[in-house]
Amino acid sequence: MSDDSEEFRSGSEDEEMSDYGASDADMDVEDDDDDYGFAGAEEVSTVPKVPYKVLPKEDLNKQREKALREVMDVLGIDEDTAMRVLRKYKWDSSRVQEEWFSKYDQVRESLGLVDEPGPSGRAACEAEERCFICFDSFPVRDMRSAACRHYFCKDCWRGYITQALSSGPACLDLRCPSTECKQKACVPCALVMELASGEEQSKYSTYMVRSFVEDNSSMCWCTGKNCENAIQCLVDRGPDEAMDVICSCSATFCFNCKEEAHRPVSCKTVKTWLTKNSAESENMNWILANTKPCPKCSRPIEKNQGCMHMTCSQCRFEFCWLCQGDWKEHGERTGGFYACNRFETAKKKGEYDDESRRRENAKASLERYMHYFERFDAHSKAREKARLDASKVSKDWLEQLADITKTPTSQLKFINEAWNQIVECRRMLKWTYAYGYYAFEDADRNSEVARHKGFFEFLQGDAERSLERLHEAAEKDLGAHVTKARNQADGGFDADAFQTFRKNLIGLTDVTAGFFDKLVKQLEKGFSSMEADYAGQVDDGAGPSGVNEGGEQAAGAAGGPAATGTTGHKGRRSKKARGVDEDVVLLGEQGFWTCNKCTYNNQDLTARRCEVCNEARAGPGGGAGNRR
Amino acid sequence: MNPDQAAQAAQLPRRIIKETQKLLSEPAPGISASPSEENLRYFNVMILGPQQSPYEGGVFKLELFLPEDYPMAPPKVRFLTKIYHPNIDKLGRICLDILKDKWSPALQIRTVLLSIQALLSAPNPDDPLAEHVAKHWKENEKEAIATARQWTAMHAQG
Ligand SMILES: [Zn+2]
Ligand SMILES: [Zn+2]
Ligand SMILES: [Zn+2]
Ligand SMILES: [Zn+2]
Ligand SMILES: [Zn+2]
Ligand SMILES: [Zn+2]
Ligand SMILES: [Zn+2]
Repeated sequence: MSDDSEEFRSGSEDEEMSDYGASDADMDVEDDDDDYGFAGAEEVSTVPKVPYKVLPKEDLNKQREKALREVMDVLGIDEDTAMRVLRKYKWDSSRVQEEWFSKYDQVRESLGLVDEPGPSGRAACEAEERCFICFDSFPVRDMRSAACRHYFCKDCWRGYITQALSSGPACLDLRCPSTECKQKACVPCALVMELASGEEQSKYSTYMVRSFVEDNSSMCWCTGKNCENAIQCLVDRGPDEAMDVICSCSATFCFNCKEEAHRPVSCKTVKTWLTKNSAESENMNWILANTKPCPKCSRPIEKNQGCMHMTCSQCRFEFCWLCQGDWKEHGERTGGFYACNRFETAKKKGEYDDESRRRENAKASLERYMHYFERFDAHSKAREKARLDASKVSKDWLEQLADITKTPTSQLKFINEAWNQIVECRRMLKWTYAYGYYAFEDADRNSEVARHKGFFEFLQGDAERSLERLHEAAEKDLGAHVTKARNQADGGFDADAFQTFRKNLIGLTDVTAGFFDKLVKQLEKGFSSMEADYAGQVDDGAGPSGVNEGGEQAAGAAGGPAATGTTGHKGRRSKKARGVDEDVVLLGEQGFWTCNKCTYNNQDLTARRCEVCNEARAGPGGGAGNRR
Repeated sequence: MNPDQAAQAAQLPRRIIKETQKLLSEPAPGISASPSEENLRYFNVMILGPQQSPYEGGVFKLELFLPEDYPMAPPKVRFLTKIYHPNIDKLGRICLDILKDKWSPALQIRTVLLSIQALLSAPNPDDPLAEHVAKHWKENEKEAIATARQWTAMHAQG
């Protein structure tokens, strides 16, 4: 993990500020359309490749100083003033420059910046003046004031500063306490630092650094536990536009709403859904329970595994945790159609009077919610379980397995990759249930919506079934191999079987990635063009549908600071030698490929690894054959 | 001053002593404030309802307390007399900016009480504390003022 983050951190670290405001040619991605493919890939490297950057604590200060320095130089002001004006405009330095030069007086007035009236001679004089806080008199040289020359004694200033510091970051905009102070002069940082205690000084400095993140519209703190990194967004985002980020501490969250990463679902849907869930939580307690009766023998079964395939320890009945149906009907072997993601409204029988119709409707809407919530919750829990298992596997099992199988751990990376895929797919899958709940409310009344719902459930079903198979293989098959290998009496390690398992798991990982890729893209694109796209895609298995998304990409790419010259992608040069293969052409229409781990839209179509997280590219276009 | 009070006064910041002396020797028109015998940080306050306001003719009792960190923190003030006013609630709490975030240590008890007196002359239903009073004020100001007069007659006289 640390290697990956190191790599993408260094990506645009030392780019010059002058690269902001890209030239017209850079901005207009559409012009490059014809060049997409190999020849063009070099040219488009001027658009930001990575939409965000992880800033560890040390870099944060450097960045902050850089931002301050720039404004100080251009505006010809001191650091104290630069900080005030940057705070006011959310650390947007181009806005600062614009406002400063066009509304000089207004900006200064609003910040309480007062022209020093020149040395007064009073500062040195012996004369006494009254402090209007404690009402005592002091020699003026023992008193302090802001630029407005309202003098108070040092003790009163100390009390004032202590009080301000204890009330939070607003102390950065501390003003003269005098009631006569018409200009509301700002209290200089230097004065605060002179009179504050050591502890308070460091508190004040911390607030100054925090401001760079908290008052900054392109920055936020990582939400990870005990993580002190900040995330810097490098592109222009629309208001309320979601952006999944993954920190080097491996926390994943949405830059916009700070909830867990939720691509492809919008922040608004996430918020509405989570609010609804907490309002309904009491009703849903039974769903949140970890035991259900076996559908055959009614013995309570505890769910202690990640995948949804349950086996009753009493009667050995195999069933699906979600729909309680026979597991046999969930696989491909029987040609079974995976349907437990589908929601069918219960068929109405006979006529209803008003009262019972109302009751039926209420019941139906609760059932509908329960359907989506139960799946959301189950996948959410499965993800948590998978996260724990994934780290257990890579910590405890891989070395043992390497020992037994006499293969280097690097050759066993496919196991890690499978687990990472599971964790990320569970996350995407759970959010598609929040999406489904809101997107198809009208399915019973509107045939178009019903059709869209059908497509959605088909794609979701493919993705889910594939994920269940992958999860089961990574969980149970791997477990069986490890157990067998540990137990010599049982015949010990079976190398051939393990080879088969390896191939199977790699295949499942790729296929699952493909299904999710398709599902996510389709949801992000919406449904208006779904049928048309789908018609041409049926045989394609897991291929992404590549139309129309260049627009989204162009929007994301334009306008932001140019984060170019991503280092550590030596692979890029050699790609010409590989020749044009079909999936690259297909992807070329779309302009990017999506990383299945971090969901970043990579713009280097030939890259084998994700530019953000360095994850090997999976699924269509990833060319499973070339991968390992 | 009895010996007990003298001991208390010795503990008191000079500012509070000076403010108290001034409040007693040069009271602001329509306002009186005197420290309690047991606690020199606790003041019994009376404000006369301003002329041309629905509170005219009323005598309103308030309590004022200077917390430990006064004057860095604002005094705590509350009406004891019932009053019908959009910025004063049932418990007598007052919605006034200088008692909260606009407090400055250069303000004094006197300025606070003058501001409260001014608030009686100019109620501000747009920044309400008592929601239904503010609503009444906005929807039917005449009637609300009549109610305020009635309350003044009922609770603040005699
Ligand atoms: Zn003083
Ligand atoms: Zn001043
Ligand atoms: Zn982090
Ligand atoms: Zn979000
Ligand atoms: Zn059973
Ligand atoms: Zn099922
Ligand atoms: Zn990635």
